[in-house]
Amino acid sequence: MPDVDVLIVGAGPAGCVAAAWAKRAAPELDVVLFERDRAVGTPVRCAEGVGDAGLREFANPDGAPWVARKIARVIFIAPNDCEVRVAERDVGWILDRTRFDAFLAAEAGALGAAVLVGTEAAGMTPGTDGRWDVRVRSARGETTYRAKVVIGADGVEAMVGRWAGLETRVPARDMESCAQYVVQGIDFDPDAIYLQFGHDIAPGGYAWVFPKGVGIANVGLGLVALKSDGRNAREYLDAWLARRYPRGACTGYTVGGVIVHTTVTQTYTGGVLVAGDAAHMINPLSGGGIVNAMKAGRLAGCTAAAAIRAGDTSARRLAAYHHAWMELLGLDHLKYYRIKRALEDLDDGFFNALARTVNAIPEERRTLGRIFTHALVKHPQLIPVAARFFV
Amino acid sequence: MRRARAAEVAVVNLAACDRCGLCLPLCPPEAIHLEFNDLVVDRGVCTGCRKCVAPCPVGALAMVDA
Repeated sequence: MPDVDVLIVGAGPAGCVAAAWAKRAAPELDVVLFERDRAVGTPVRCAEGVGDAGLREFANPDGAPWVARKIARVIFIAPNDCEVRVAERDVGWILDRTRFDAFLAAEAGALGAAVLVGTEAAGMTPGTDGRWDVRVRSARGETTYRAKVVIGADGVEAMVGRWAGLETRVPARDMESCAQYVVQGIDFDPDAIYLQFGHDIAPGGYAWVFPKGVGIANVGLGLVALKSDGRNAREYLDAWLARRYPRGACTGYTVGGVIVHTTVTQTYTGGVLVAGDAAHMINPLSGGGIVNAMKAGRLAGCTAAAAIRAGDTSARRLAAYHHAWMELLGLDHLKYYRIKRALEDLDDGFFNALARTVNAIPEERRTLGRIFTHALVKHPQLIPVAARFFV
Repeated sequence: MRRARAAEVAVVNLAACDRCGLCLPLCPPEAIHLEFNDLVVDRGVCTGCRKCVAPCPVGALAMVDA
């Protein structure tokens, strides 16, 4: 039975960064990273947008081959198609996730972690000395690995957490059902991301256009199925696309779930940490999760390495990971979740009126902060929402 | 713990399923999992609650008589 120090399930941003940081923190450790798919970074289940500052904590996007497009502004579209352009400096980037995830995996590999693709964790049981026995399947057959710490970075499935007895289930109202096409030959501002709200467009979520180049974009939407009229996410997307880009050519599609909740109540147990989507670490307001996953992966890798060096991988010791995460972003997500719930009560009329008001602000002064302040003055009905923001 | 047998259970249409995993955390009794490239619904565990059906982005899950 192969014996390792840190075993990581899932080579997305959380898993790759966890592997890299476990090796950085303790180069003598055996770190192994498993990926079920035959190539890291495929299939892409992501709109691929990421904020500039968060990304730069982990990698330099300037001129990087894993970047598809730099984003300079955000265009919000009200339900009645009224556009609001918001210019911010250094907004963010649209990644090429296939290349980006491979870049992160390569970095983990260069630091000495073993990366095994086409290899799936099939189950795990407690072994001796607080270790875990993890059954691993590949085309070559089944092997059991014994690990001191298992890091579950296995995305929305969250099987590692389930096997370890953590609560990873999510209520239906906090699950966004998403569908996305890669659309070619369409006309839009290639330096902007577009977000459209509307009950008939994406109930409980929003639709997006994230440019991958001039005339090519990820066009998708996320909705809460409990609020839908019976159509599924792909049917809503087909309707939106037919209306906005009837002449676009769809050259790919993907679907997936985005958990817009707050961090799972416990992200650790003896010998186990969960990180990224698997731990519900997505910003519940924006649905963004890439940088969060990398930040959690860094914490998980460092915590696991320090615990193994200290010879103590108990739940008590690993709880430090949970506290560090909550301090870093988890508590912010609790606030964002309250805002999300407050926004759910607002109807299309509210968003149409807000767009009209905000467009009265000159574009060069139209920052998100100003929009918010202005909206409070012009729309006193927003004040309870704002109040809930700060509670 | 024994429970009454469900009247209906969820089944997956693998031709439509994209293996995205969205339905797994929605399932209260944790009856769904992925095995490499197949979504598996454990008929003995499914309680017929339907929570997985509407959220599927491609409509790959449906209920059938147990």
